[in-house]
Amino acid sequence: MPIHDPSYRRYTGSRNEPGSSWLIIAETEIRGVLRKKLFLFVLLASWGQFFVRAVMFYLSSNFSSLDTPALGILSPSVQTFRQFFELQEVFVLFVTVYVGSGMIANDRRSNALQIYLSKPVTRAEYVAGKLGALLFFLLLVTLVPALGLLVLQVMFSGSLTFIGENLFLVPAITLYAFVEALLSAFAMLALSSLSTSARYTAMIYAGMVLFSGVLFEVLRDVSNGALELVWLSFRANLDQLADVIFLLPPRYESPWMVSVLAVGTLIGVSVAVLKWRVRGVEVVT
Amino acid sequence: MSTPLTSNVPVVPSFFRSAVRVYELSLGRMLWSRRTLFMALVVGGPVAVALVLRLLAALDLLSLTGGVDFVDSANQRVTIDGPGIFGLMVWGFYLRFSVPLLGVFYGTSLIADEIEDKTITYLFTRPLSRCAVLAGKYFAYLVSTGLVLLPSVMLVFFLVVSLLGGSIGAAFPSLVTDLALLAVGLAVYGALFMLIGTWFRRPLLTGLVFILGWEPIVAVVPGYLKRFTVSYYLEGLAPHAMPQDRAVTGILGVMQVSEVVPSVAASLIGLGLILVGGLSLSAWVVERREYVIEQ
Amino acid sequence: MNAAVVAVERVSKWYGQVIGLNDISAEVHPGVTGLLGPNGAGKSTLLKLIAGQLKPSKGSVRVFDESVWGNPGLFFRVGFCPEQDSFYDQMTGLEWVTALVRLNGFSESEATEAARLAMDSVDLLDAADKKIGAYSKGMRQRVKLAQAVVHGPDLLVLDEPLAGMDPVARRQVIKLIKGWGSSGKSVLVSSHILHEIESMTSTILLMNHGRILAEGDIAAIRGLIDEHPHKIRIRLSDPRAFARGFLDHVGLRSLCLEEGALVIETENPDAFYSRLTEVAASGALGDVQEVSSPDDNLQAVFEYLVK
Repeated sequence: MPIHDPSYRRYTGSRNEPGSSWLIIAETEIRGVLRKKLFLFVLLASWGQFFVRAVMFYLSSNFSSLDTPALGILSPSVQTFRQFFELQEVFVLFVTVYVGSGMIANDRRSNALQIYLSKPVTRAEYVAGKLGALLFFLLLVTLVPALGLLVLQVMFSGSLTFIGENLFLVPAITLYAFVEALLSAFAMLALSSLSTSARYTAMIYAGMVLFSGVLFEVLRDVSNGALELVWLSFRANLDQLADVIFLLPPRYESPWMVSVLAVGTLIGVSVAVLKWRVRGVEVVT
Repeated sequence: MSTPLTSNVPVVPSFFRSAVRVYELSLGRMLWSRRTLFMALVVGGPVAVALVLRLLAALDLLSLTGGVDFVDSANQRVTIDGPGIFGLMVWGFYLRFSVPLLGVFYGTSLIADEIEDKTITYLFTRPLSRCAVLAGKYFAYLVSTGLVLLPSVMLVFFLVVSLLGGSIGAAFPSLVTDLALLAVGLAVYGALFMLIGTWFRRPLLTGLVFILGWEPIVAVVPGYLKRFTVSYYLEGLAPHAMPQDRAVTGILGVMQVSEVVPSVAASLIGLGLILVGGLSLSAWVVERREYVIEQ
Repeated sequence: MNAAVVAVERVSKWYGQVIGLNDISAEVHPGVTGLLGPNGAGKSTLLKLIAGQLKPSKGSVRVFDESVWGNPGLFFRVGFCPEQDSFYDQMTGLEWVTALVRLNGFSESEATEAARLAMDSVDLLDAADKKIGAYSKGMRQRVKLAQAVVHGPDLLVLDEPLAGMDPVARRQVIKLIKGWGSSGKSVLVSSHILHEIESMTSTILLMNHGRILAEGDIAAIRGLIDEHPHKIRIRLSDPRAFARGFLDHVGLRSLCLEEGALVIETENPDAFYSRLTEVAASGALGDVQEVSSPDDNLQAVFEYLVK
């Protein structure tokens, strides 16, 4: 009769290389979010514009012989892609609020942060995992449909003329999508690390984005444009940068470098907050 | 150790008395909660802007005489003056931003906060109806938001209206109307979002989708859909020539649809229906709902 | 027997497709009743149903002969101490208990007095003016008990009141619960720790997998478990001789020799004890020093029933 040793045995299998833990964190987050029905509904709604524009592209490509003025509106242009991002802004907000608000706050609330950091996971990997998951969803509602539209335009028209004339659109779409997603994700994660309540984090983030926009607009309107403080507004900075990236005339008179600086500062502050707040043990003095 | 006191007369307190007790309990928590920071931002922002304008005007650094380029709901160009700036601020800061957002943030939290904090059990195991709990919390929301928001509006009024020779006396009736309008807005949005808070598991996102998604989108859809928004009826009560949202005006222009503003009577009826509907449906939901609190 | 304070009749409770309680019937009478079962047995679900926080999917829950769901008037007579460790942390203990008892219709002064008495009853008067956020776990448990007893209810429903307490606080609270029970109140208290319940009461409701396994007196329950042999440990001078003498005992299942002791498993404990008395009195099989039954405690009952 064979005798088995039932005592404890160390794990002798293979281990992932250090530095890849963030992928596991990101994957866990993504799987968790995708299980939520309400989010899937938001995701579906966020692709609404993609489908509408796809139909528009199809009509403009296949019914060009009709020569009606409406076809001019349907035809793709650089402006179309810029507007696409503008209309997706609200979904960027929804996704950021839904996915990001509880990312660190919930871990802090349930003391899971301590557990994460007691494993061979560095603080940077933890943040990278969370950031990766949030970026994944943000790019899913901006970069992916925008590039998809570009591909569809080629497919429907059966010609490379438009993309050949506007080759810069590929890097422009990619760059702007990343700028928007990185700013939103870093700001939200920083706020999430400051609280233990996902709902409160969501409120503060939405309030900050909306209030900064309203403040900017009211100041500009009541001063007849004299007080056009673009740097004040989360959205105005992104709008200004989007115009520059898409090689369109900037909508505000403020130098676009001011917006670069504002966005960079906000990301920098967020990184500093994350560095300060993402700790296994909080020492209260 | 001693024995706890026993209540002598176990008579169920009236609905009103119960609601008042819950109101007393909730008011302080609402005013001194984590949201105070947000409240300070909402309320302090417009006052700070008014102070800046006042300062700039006093130092003669800002010329406001050129007129601001906006059109009112009847597509008429409006010349700006002190009361005009005030109207713009009431529209931009309070009616379009603070009121719906306060409604979303506080309204959806009335019950959701107690659930998230796992304290709702303490309220629902007392001899008072759940409707009374809801009513007390709703009153506390109205008082706390109103007490903070309305004085802020008054401050802005006194700081801004006298700019460019505007007359406080002449503009005062519009202040009263504005305050009433904002109070109505808080009440209606609060009732609506309280319903969302009692009904949905993620009420905040649902509320944000309503004010940032539904309301702006249906505002540009021809037909009756816009009647299922609060902002449509609030606009009907606005005393000022309100500027249009650029996006809305632009899209309506393309679609060659002129915007319809409801009459005051229609607005009051619409808002009344939303208010009563929101409150009664919230009460219906909360009386029937089981709140499973996990450890 | 007194009229039932709580009557649960054929109650089932589903959470979506998960079953929390499965067709259970039980009664609670005046005095302390322990609700015992492992984690996930359905104890908290049952207590929430009795406290009117959940509505039965099937069956009825009656407290003082009234339906409890949607009947807030009952809460004059019911005090509930929930499991969750949640409070209005910014308030002091006294403020919190006062605010809650005001919801029972007490005036400001009555409420303050009642809250003070309740805080005193759980030995927390010294910390009454401290913020709850600064309380230790034991103090938080006790302030929860204070809000449950502050209005002098006839029925107390306590969900895991000893969880997280240190031994001293645990002893205090056990004493309190026993005191409330002996003063004529009905106390229904849950725990998954057997000796806790055993130290409070001998009347239990035993639950597992959403069902009531047994209810009544611990000893009586033990007696009902016929299919399980009764284990008896006898410490004596000559275990081998004693074992030889009992080999012909009817119902003997096993004999186990230990150093200076003999452990017997029998299916007929009454007959065994009669014979043991005779043998011990005669001294024929040596000197019997101690007889104990490891099966008489709640642990054994519980292990048998949940096996």
